[in-house]
Amino acid sequence: MKRLFFAVFLLVVVLMLVSCAPAKPANHLEAIKQAGVIKVGTSADYPPFEYVENGEKVGFDIELMTEIAKRMGVKLEWVDMPFDSLIAGVQQGKIDASISGFNYSEERDKVVDFTISYYTQEDAFTVSESFSGTFNVPEDAANYKVGVQTGTTQDGWLTDNLVTTGKMPEANLFRYDRVDQVALDLKSGRIDVMMSDYDPARYLVKSLGGLKVVWHGVLTSGPFNIVVPDGDQELKAEMDKIIKQLQDEGFIEQLIAKYIAQ
Amino acid sequence: MSQPVLVAQNLTKTYGKNVIFRDISLSVNERDTIVIVGPSGTGKSTLLRCLNLLTKADSGKIWLDGVEITDPTRCSEDECRQRIGMVFQNFLLFNHLTALDNVMIGLTKVKKMPKEQARRKAMEELERVGLIDRAGHYPGQLSGGQQQRVAIARALAMEPRVMLFDEPTSALDPELIGEVLAVMKQLAREGMTMLVVTHEMGFAREVANRMIFMEKGQILEEGTPDDLFERPKYERTRQFLWKIAELHGRKAAEENG
Amino acid sequence: MLIEFFRYIAAGTATTLAVTLVALPLGLVIGLTFALAHVYGGKVLTQVMRLYSTLMRGMPPILLLFILYFIISGSINLSPFWAGSIALGVVSSAYQLEILRGAILSVGGEQMMAARAIGMSRLKAIRYIILPQALRMAIPPWSNEASIVLKDSSLVYALGVAEILRRAQQLSATTQQPFMAFGTAALIYFILVFTANRLLDYVSQRTRIPANPLG
Repeated sequence: MKRLFFAVFLLVVVLMLVSCAPAKPANHLEAIKQAGVIKVGTSADYPPFEYVENGEKVGFDIELMTEIAKRMGVKLEWVDMPFDSLIAGVQQGKIDASISGFNYSEERDKVVDFTISYYTQEDAFTVSESFSGTFNVPEDAANYKVGVQTGTTQDGWLTDNLVTTGKMPEANLFRYDRVDQVALDLKSGRIDVMMSDYDPARYLVKSLGGLKVVWHGVLTSGPFNIVVPDGDQELKAEMDKIIKQLQDEGFIEQLIAKYIAQ
Repeated sequence: MSQPVLVAQNLTKTYGKNVIFRDISLSVNERDTIVIVGPSGTGKSTLLRCLNLLTKADSGKIWLDGVEITDPTRCSEDECRQRIGMVFQNFLLFNHLTALDNVMIGLTKVKKMPKEQARRKAMEELERVGLIDRAGHYPGQLSGGQQQRVAIARALAMEPRVMLFDEPTSALDPELIGEVLAVMKQLAREGMTMLVVTHEMGFAREVANRMIFMEKGQILEEGTPDDLFERPKYERTRQFLWKIAELHGRKAAEENG
Repeated sequence: MLIEFFRYIAAGTATTLAVTLVALPLGLVIGLTFALAHVYGGKVLTQVMRLYSTLMRGMPPILLLFILYFIISGSINLSPFWAGSIALGVVSSAYQLEILRGAILSVGGEQMMAARAIGMSRLKAIRYIILPQALRMAIPPWSNEASIVLKDSSLVYALGVAEILRRAQQLSATTQQPFMAFGTAALIYFILVFTANRLLDYVSQRTRIPANPLG
């Protein structure tokens, strides 16, 4: 009997949760304002843009988004997920938007939309200090074992330009869930070269030690954008407006000074 | 002559290609104590289990107090089994319950008796089989003979119209057989209607008023114990009974030193 | 330094426990129902249950977790926590089905026969005679499954649920001290699993049947 009761109880709980669907607002932005909260996805393992310090989420993207939400007049709810699930998360509506050091890419554009750029990022190639090879141009990476974070634009660049064209064997490209994992393997010598965004590379070089950046410049990256659902013009317009405001006010420059220029 | 308590007509049971028994008919009257004997594997246990519908006979009919229990529209199986008590060779007490709870559970959960009333009745039955002082023990803490006596009390508590015993002492150590047989003899004397499958010839001669010899799935002979022991119609009957009696006698001689 | 690590990662314990406390009972309810269907349900039902068991246990739990997660969250609007926990519960149900089925079978058909002989219906027999014995028997292997679900709860990190493992990953990414971060997480899991096992041992002791011939 007790078992039956429990089963029914569980069923009722599930049904209750299911029925808690909100009323249909006009569009996504309306829905967010109505709910009073925006759910933003990020992968808080990417210093200096989003990471955890003293139990709090901190970083360039974190502070930027916090300010944006404030100006939108809604509360900010962070949803932390592995980087490669974020795009899917926006697609499926699990999160309203995502800020996580996203570069614009055509592939991503097919399934989501982007705000205007809030920052310009360079790419970087990092090696260990004891590296004895030559590295003058990005294509030199083809001669070594290269590590990269999975699902990033760098991942795309290496795959399309070096592996698919045959310049580099597939087996020499190592993909990782997080960029700090790449750096650790770089330091231990399991790989020779790391390709990533420039600012995180500098953070890792400083924090880990024993590494150095051998090349940086705009290759795949360039602009950082916030990701919003495909076709969501209202949300994009709202965020674009605020980003422009923050740029004009010098807020973004302050963030750069705080997190990046070191 | 009032109607018989239990009647079976043309019961047949096969298992694949094997015929366990064929066309068995018998009738059990009130206060009868019937003993069924025969070589092992002649379907005696299966027959008993068919009588209380635990096993379904392939064909044939069974009546309990005039109601055909093999007809599902006349009475539900579970209901019928409340009125037929069964005692198994392996006792089959419920391991997670004390002796008292074993006897009580049929009363509270099947007969829906209030707890106090059930407890009193259960204590009575345990008293009847001489185990009132073991009421709080678990089956694992009881000897084989004690377990079987609790099993008998459990069956009796349901106040059945007839009690079926399936080789009740076959799994017991020799020293423990006596206490169980004593209970059974007492029951017979008190007028309980009983059908007993056993090898215990002493029991048969003392309290049975009818005896059935089964072999190869058929009833070979039927009559009073005296009939079968002194004036058997078939040589086979004589052979079997005297062999058993010889073993029994030898056993008795061994026990008596 | 270790204290900071510990405090941040340990804060995920509540989530880890919450996931486990949704998944495990759900798995039990489903597993028990299906185990009974398997043993007592007749030919067709038995085959269906066998299929379910083979299918669900035939792939790595994390794979099944993802598949179920996307099925569940695709059709109903649940948070990752609920979708993930429910999915984990369904995964566990197949293993619990086998554990409970084994326990029910070891109680044996004879106990059922004896129960029916005093006029109990099959349902009553299952409820009052078979299950009380079977569930006691199932505690040791079930305790093992409980530990597994507790540890597998870490898999929901991939769905965005901030439990112990995810927090360890974040710390590792910030401090580049993977051994400290993951070591602390491991220590916390160890404490949880150890405690759970002790608890279930205690339950097993308290509910033990004295001198049980079935062991």
